[in-house]
Amino acid sequence: MIRVRRWGRYGTALGVAGLMLAAGCAKGTDPASSGGGAAAVDEKAPVTITIGDRPTPDKPNDLKAFNQKVSDFMAKYPNITVKSTETSWQAQTFQAQVAGGTLPTVMSISFTEPANMIPNKQLPDITDELKLVDLTKDLNPNVLKIVEDANGRIYGVPTDVFSVGLAYNRNLFKQAGLDPDKPPTTWDEVRQYAKQISEKTGKAGYAQLTTNNTGGWMLTTMTYSMGGTVESPDGKKSTFNDAPTKKALQLLKDMRWTDNSMGSRFLYNQEEVRQDFAAGKIGMVLQAPDAYDMSVKQFGMKPADFGEGALPQDGGPHGTLTGGSLKMISPKATKNEIVAALKWIKFDQFDKYTNEAAAVADAKNAIADKGFVGRPGISPLSQATYDQYNKWREPYVNVPVKQFQGYIDSTTSLKLLPEPPNKGQEVYSLLDPVVQQVLTKKDVDIDKLVSDAASKIDARLAR
Amino acid sequence: MTWYRSGGLSSIAFGLPLVLIFLYFSWGPIVRGLVLSFQKNNLVQAPEWVGWSNFSYVLTDPQLPQAALNTLYFAALALVFGFPVPLFLAVFVSELRKAGWLYNVLSYLPAVVPPVAAILLWTFFYDPSGAGVFNSILGWFGLGPFAWLNSPTLAMPAIVLEATWAGAGATSIIYLAALTGVRTELYEAAELDGAGIWRRVWHVTLPQIRGIILIMMLLQLIGTFQVFTEPFLFTGGGPNNATTTVLLLIYRYAFINGDFGAATALSVLLALVLCVLSAVYHFVTRRWSTT
Repeated sequence: MIRVRRWGRYGTALGVAGLMLAAGCAKGTDPASSGGGAAAVDEKAPVTITIGDRPTPDKPNDLKAFNQKVSDFMAKYPNITVKSTETSWQAQTFQAQVAGGTLPTVMSISFTEPANMIPNKQLPDITDELKLVDLTKDLNPNVLKIVEDANGRIYGVPTDVFSVGLAYNRNLFKQAGLDPDKPPTTWDEVRQYAKQISEKTGKAGYAQLTTNNTGGWMLTTMTYSMGGTVESPDGKKSTFNDAPTKKALQLLKDMRWTDNSMGSRFLYNQEEVRQDFAAGKIGMVLQAPDAYDMSVKQFGMKPADFGEGALPQDGGPHGTLTGGSLKMISPKATKNEIVAALKWIKFDQFDKYTNEAAAVADAKNAIADKGFVGRPGISPLSQATYDQYNKWREPYVNVPVKQFQGYIDSTTSLKLLPEPPNKGQEVYSLLDPVVQQVLTKKDVDIDKLVSDAASKIDARLAR
Repeated sequence: MTWYRSGGLSSIAFGLPLVLIFLYFSWGPIVRGLVLSFQKNNLVQAPEWVGWSNFSYVLTDPQLPQAALNTLYFAALALVFGFPVPLFLAVFVSELRKAGWLYNVLSYLPAVVPPVAAILLWTFFYDPSGAGVFNSILGWFGLGPFAWLNSPTLAMPAIVLEATWAGAGATSIIYLAALTGVRTELYEAAELDGAGIWRRVWHVTLPQIRGIILIMMLLQLIGTFQVFTEPFLFTGGGPNNATTTVLLLIYRYAFINGDFGAATALSVLLALVLCVLSAVYHFVTRRWSTT
């Protein structure tokens, strides 16, 4: 009796599971709706878009300005309705948001994303719409490369751009008897300075990012600075199994094991390294100038101690890796929504560059919310426009710009190199352990390490 | 017909919504995952059926053997060092006549600390410089400094230590509950026979809660095979992949590579392994089980 009952139960469960499977399959084969097809754009048609990155309530002035901007925009374009959310880009949750289809129509994302998203068709082609709203000609062509595919089609609008440089602690430089106004510009100098800092102060002279893909990211940066590349231009093959990358790793190995100038901590992600840097435990570390914001505001570093120099070069100048953020448009947006979104981006992001009142208001809001005005970066627009814009904001600058002089000079003297074109984050994650091994295993064979990593990465690039 | 007359229909009407909700929310994701594992799908474009290719891809990934070994290593360490701790705690607390509740609270408290906060705290303990908390303490005895999380050999044991600390309290509460079910007259009889505390624990307590111990061991095995938070937050899988677990690999497939097909394929494989493991465990331990 019991046996029969039990089988009955199993049978029901199996049957229902089968039904669910069938239902799941049926749902799975439905074509996902994407884009608005070949329909022509109607600029007058009523359209609603959602905008991410709304300032949080802890920044009341920014929020007020944002809301004002939204209503000004809707007054200018009566057919466009704008809704806003606080959704913003986070590396750890972004893919889940893309997959879940919960993205707003417009949102800021990091430069690391398009390299993966363009081939995955997770970003819409907006080349024609950009021309329609007259935005293409303003954009800095060097920067635009980040959001282009091989055929020159454009998939996003870069808004905030910087390149990697060398952040250094001016106070530790002084303690070590180094001139805080002269950061190192070659890797030989970096090694020598690091040794001097660690001998004189007992702190890590130089630290390296190594986890959560930042190890690969910074190894790529070093490779670029030594004249190498990581992937072939078509992204089909790895190209780092040669002298520049090995030289970069050998340098780290020498600093770690021969000079012992890198302290004792070798697992660093971005936030942790900034924390230790702000606490005065690190002399030098590769960082873009935006490290200033977090180091000062979140971790309490004295502004007077922060310095930013150029990315050190070897036998160069070869160039530096660019980073920053761009405005992405949801892959689910229709043509009309894309045009409305681009109008918003132009209104929100680019008018301040050409309108003095907007530039000043923007600076004042930033200061009122304890933010920063004047941190150096690279222009998403032409240099002349950017210089004009900076001039308008000059009276409000609250960042010690002089301490960024080394970096500022490098933005015109160093070539801006984009990140690896294919599966950038995946390549970085496979390079993390390479850097980690050099720093944690004394007898590591760099040649073997690099060639092993290259064969792993080639297999991935071919998938 | 008797079934119908005795109110069978109303009980079905009562139970059906519950069963459907349970099926949809509890089993729906599992089935959806199975379907995903046979697709090339980034959840934006139309999915494409790719047969077994996701499975062959993850099975030939050169990172998989190491991740599997690391996971086994974690499970083994957790079993050898982590498993006896809560049992010991529970027996210890239950033997206390006075202020037992205090020790109970003290042992359970770590389970209340959110994992992220706990891990941040332990990272601070594990600071590899001579000034780190653990290194300072060991330094008084002339030991160290140890690299802890920065050393490929020490990283995994260090993670297990934290995981044991975090998990022991919750498990020992369950043991404590089981211990209240042990018949006190057995202790009295043992005491009359002149059994000391160790013999009482060995001959009375442990046999009486054998069933719970076996269940907890299985739960722990399944849990440790799915370890993620600790390696993710402590080391990001490093140094040099020494703490990359299978779940971390799944996470990377899905949220770094955007390859949900590969991620679900590996998840399905892991689930299969755990099913087989549970079945084998069930048959092996059936003889010793009390139920």
